[in-house]
Amino acid sequence: MSSTLTIALPKGRLLTRIITCFKEAGIQVAFAERELVCLDKKNKLKFLLVKNNDLTTYVHHGIAGLGICGEDRIIESGYRFYKLHEFPFGSTRICLAGCPSVEGEKEEPRLKVATKFPRFTQNFFLKRGIPVEMIKLEGSVELAPVLGLAPYIVDLVETGSTLKAHGLEILEELADIKVVLISNPAYYKLEYQDIDHLVHKLGKQP
Amino acid sequence: MPREKKKLLHIPQGTEGFYLEEAFVHRRLRETLLDLFHLWGYLPVQTPVFDFFDTYRNLLDAEATEKIYRLIDREGDLLMLRSDNTLFMAKQMGLALTWEDLPVRVCYADSILRHQDREDISHNEFFQVGAELIGKDGLNGDLEVLMLMMATIRHLRLPQAVLHLGSHAFYTACFAAGRLSVADQQRVYTAIYNRAFPTAAEILKAAGYNGEEIRLMSRLFGFIGTIAEFSVLEKEAVGTKLLSSACREALAYLAEVGAQLKRLEVESRVRIDLSEIGGQPYYTGLVFQVYMPGMDTAVASGGRYNRLLGFFGFDAPSCGFSLLLRKVQEKIGSPERFKPEHGGVNIRKKDFVAAYREAEELRAAGRIVTLQDLK
Repeated sequence: MSSTLTIALPKGRLLTRIITCFKEAGIQVAFAERELVCLDKKNKLKFLLVKNNDLTTYVHHGIAGLGICGEDRIIESGYRFYKLHEFPFGSTRICLAGCPSVEGEKEEPRLKVATKFPRFTQNFFLKRGIPVEMIKLEGSVELAPVLGLAPYIVDLVETGSTLKAHGLEILEELADIKVVLISNPAYYKLEYQDIDHLVHKLGKQP
Repeated sequence: MPREKKKLLHIPQGTEGFYLEEAFVHRRLRETLLDLFHLWGYLPVQTPVFDFFDTYRNLLDAEATEKIYRLIDREGDLLMLRSDNTLFMAKQMGLALTWEDLPVRVCYADSILRHQDREDISHNEFFQVGAELIGKDGLNGDLEVLMLMMATIRHLRLPQAVLHLGSHAFYTACFAAGRLSVADQQRVYTAIYNRAFPTAAEILKAAGYNGEEIRLMSRLFGFIGTIAEFSVLEKEAVGTKLLSSACREALAYLAEVGAQLKRLEVESRVRIDLSEIGGQPYYTGLVFQVYMPGMDTAVASGGRYNRLLGFFGFDAPSCGFSLLLRKVQEKIGSPERFKPEHGGVNIRKKDFVAAYREAEELRAAGRIVTLQDLK
């Protein structure tokens, strides 16, 4: 390997599993307390710890040439990336959910949906020719139908237990979401040998 | 902050202004590049800032259409601002040229106006310089454009720039005839452009391609390597007999371009990259992009577009390139070459006429002279 690759990692629930995954591939990711940058000198890798919502922005601008995030972030960013590797954890689904009693209202000419994913939601329903009114929320989306903000939500669903706890159910699965290694396309074109080597290492894990 | 001041600070996305030394450097860069193009026999073309949208509607893909600025003139016609110099140049040349004029060499250095998202302003895609060789088909035409682009990069002293060469013709030969629907061709195109080879493989499998064919396609379109590495792959691929004669010809052509670039001793900065299939819908043959460390997108791009001028009534084969000058301006080597000369003369006299006369004598001798007030 000839140059140091820069990889953005997301803070939060995925981080521990990503670090384990790298460890199994012989790559050391160890952030000192309060540090947001660390180096694996042996493998010539530099890691940046960034907020999940900002990760695609860092990679898009080439500040980090590579990054690891859920495909939901890629869709929502609207940017173009190369997806180089799918990780065997963190898979989830983007679903349309609502109270069981409102399912019939899906036939109404205009859907009112609360979501953290307005770009995905807009594209999905417009492709089907269904006009959609969106209410952008930053979190606890499942509260929207409960409190009467919107009858439907579009959100990530892992087990469905949070939905169930709020009296909601999945009305339709809209997309599968994987955790992936992404690259800025221009960065890949210059560093393809080193990146392919890294992808090969990650792919060899049990 | 006063409301008026706030208004002044608000700048529309996709525009920029620059001034003083930065503007001087930009102007000098622009001039020296046009001088370089002139040494190769290229003459400038000035395209209009806006034109009728309908003229270009069928040449713009969804992404390009989304980014252009449109406006309505007093007669109610829909206009578009110049978002790509090649498109506007093609219309002008298509209308103005006759067969006797060919080949024609034109160049430009002009601003482009297209929307950039708020997060995208660092792209600096505001100004294109480029050259187009109209009416010359084949290897020598492609090589001339490639070497002129290399000369441009050399002039700007961008030694880390790497040229990635691909072929739209190879993609067309593989997929445009027969087995894929038009919608699937578009999906495969997008998958290859995004190097999403598992997605491409799924589409091909559903369309009846067998495993051996899919593996070969993934390997070929996934290839990036040196000219020597490509030469090995090309021989191997042709040997499998899975490729049509048109596919083999497209690969052989690319290998020949590579061989000539090797003879021209520029191969160390060249990669053959079959996932380069052209970022604009009008390309037909050789396509290329230039990448540089620290840059978030390609800084230059181009290729052969043999049918674009035909769209405007003059079906002449053409090839060209453009470079995003504002994008590379911060990266040029030895930038002091383009900066204003310091050490000019300041004349301080109470009598303006005397000061003016002295200054004129010095200016006639090539000195930079500034008139200053006597304090």
